[in-house]
Amino acid sequence: MARYAMVTDLTKCVGCQACTAACNSEWDVPPGHARTHVRPTGAVGKFPDLRSAFYVAQCNHCDDPPCVKPCPSGATFQADNGIVKVDRNLCIGCGFCVQACPYEARYLNPATQKVDKCDFCASRLERGRQPACVTTCTAHAKYFGDLEDSSGDIYRMVYTRGARRIESGEVKVGPNVYYLGRRGEPQLVAAMFPPRLPKLPAAGEWWSKVVKPLALALVGATFAGQAVAFFTQLRKGEGQFDE
Amino acid sequence: MSSATQVQPPLRDLSQRMIKKHHVAIILLHWFNAITWLIELTTGAALISSEHFRFVPVWFVTMITEVSGTRANLLRFHIAAGLTWITVFAVYAIFGWQTYFHQEVLEREVALDKDDFNWLRIRVLRILGRSNEPLPPQGIYNAGQKMFALMVYVMIPVIMGTGLVMAFHWGPMTLVGWAVVLHFAAVAVVVSGLMVHVYMGAVFPEEKPAFFSMLTGMVPEEFAYKHHHKWWKEVKMLEELHAAGLAEPRPVPRPSRLAAALRMKEHWPGYWAGFGLGLTLLATFLIVGQGLGASGGFTRYLAFVLSLVAPGYASAHPYWSNYVQPGQPVLMDFLVFELIGVALGGVVSGWLAGHLKWTTDKGPRISPRTRWALAFLGGAISGAGARLARGCTSGLALSGGSVLSAGAFVFMLSVFAAGFIGAYFLRRIWL
Repeated sequence: MARYAMVTDLTKCVGCQACTAACNSEWDVPPGHARTHVRPTGAVGKFPDLRSAFYVAQCNHCDDPPCVKPCPSGATFQADNGIVKVDRNLCIGCGFCVQACPYEARYLNPATQKVDKCDFCASRLERGRQPACVTTCTAHAKYFGDLEDSSGDIYRMVYTRGARRIESGEVKVGPNVYYLGRRGEPQLVAAMFPPRLPKLPAAGEWWSKVVKPLALALVGATFAGQAVAFFTQLRKGEGQFDE
Repeated sequence: MSSATQVQPPLRDLSQRMIKKHHVAIILLHWFNAITWLIELTTGAALISSEHFRFVPVWFVTMITEVSGTRANLLRFHIAAGLTWITVFAVYAIFGWQTYFHQEVLEREVALDKDDFNWLRIRVLRILGRSNEPLPPQGIYNAGQKMFALMVYVMIPVIMGTGLVMAFHWGPMTLVGWAVVLHFAAVAVVVSGLMVHVYMGAVFPEEKPAFFSMLTGMVPEEFAYKHHHKWWKEVKMLEELHAAGLAEPRPVPRPSRLAAALRMKEHWPGYWAGFGLGLTLLATFLIVGQGLGASGGFTRYLAFVLSLVAPGYASAHPYWSNYVQPGQPVLMDFLVFELIGVALGGVVSGWLAGHLKWTTDKGPRISPRTRWALAFLGGAISGAGARLARGCTSGLALSGGSVLSAGAFVFMLSVFAAGFIGAYFLRRIWL
């Protein structure tokens, strides 16, 4: 089974947002939202030692995706090829996963009221085509392929050319979107846009920490009470009840 | 009892007469509600698959998902059943507002008085064996039933509202997120009450007439006199008014035929049962498009276990691959559900007829252990035989015979011939 990954060469990226436009049009992303977007770091440092880079952000299809566990209905799941998907027929739009994602890759589509995000253009892959952002990239900065194919470009870039993941000290969930850069762009991006800690919203916290234990205790206590009543009655025998 | 003026009537007479407690519409609503709760609890529990929130074992989630085909189907089914439930309740609420909601719900089902509070205290103490005080007289519903009703009437709108918010995404993410939690919490509260309700109705011997009143609508007057004394007095007063010509005469309630049938203590005569079985077979042909069966269902169960334990082996095996196909739910078969229904129906009918008990049917010469061992051995032989013959007495002889399959008749003749000869040699087991 393949293990899909993407590599973006930040030295080549010119921040033109062609990938964003291609993705929005491919997936009918409503205005104000995006499955992928390009964020400039701006000029960092002190003149004349200034540096800048573009952060091409999207779903990282992490090895250990923090968005899967909080999904109550199991709409968010990881396929065998590593692609993290949202089953739109199963999503109820509670948004637990949106807050769980360290990369802010998820949004609630206001048209469908379901959560939407990058799926590496899974339906294009099935037809043997590359993701829309890769084919559109004007600078040819994006690469997509199978990380397990040791003769492929992706394998070479990740394992021999040292493409980096955007991770922080606290958040290490194994993202599968890698970044190359000859002048330290990936490090700059990681410093400017560090992944946030996965968070369960208040409703989710209450559910797992308070409501669920309380509910189980309530049902359990009722059951125990009934068992006591039942055995008391059994000991007294049915004869005592005048039928 | 508390009212001193009441002359004690002879209980023998009271046990003979039935008085009407429930309207047929309420009985139907009750059982519709019961079935819906069963469905929604099963599917709802399986829908919560997240590691943070799941409260049932993984195998249960897998099994229900498997039965539904896909999880999306499961959600659709849960929502469809929920919407049906809401619709039926809405229809009842709108059309029954005057007659039912005002009178029944507000006055009789939820209004607790002083007697009720005392009743609750004494009832609990008595169950715990700590009191012998007599229970205060009760209305048509006792205080326990009223408490349950009160809780349900508060929780049901919460369940319906949060369900609609989730199903139709009414509102922002935060609201939907909280709706999930509230939905779960409200259901948990109702379930804890429901456990007592089901226990009281199905197990508690004193309340047996209350259970039957949910089938027939009637309770013995003796039961009303003892358990719902205030209501019994109301009924008596009305009857006196009728007798004096001061109120509109009411039709005298007749004991229903259903009640008579359900209380039948004898087994049905074999020919009736055979006729009934034939009609059941006809109905399954009409409704599900296939006949009855037994061994095929067990094969499916085994195939399901196999597909969990050794999926690779099962889907490659020449025989099991007939059942285990990638992407196709193994348990999605009529016979699988039919067998569950047969077991449940057997228990219910045995219970209604008062035949329910643990026993080992055996001949006088052998021990129960021998009987069980022989039954297992015989079951294994006939199970293997059924698969060789591609059907058993149900699937091949009954369903096949009903469509005049030649194989069915050959099989049936062979079964009788082998049985006739075999019985002679094995007669010591039974005689």
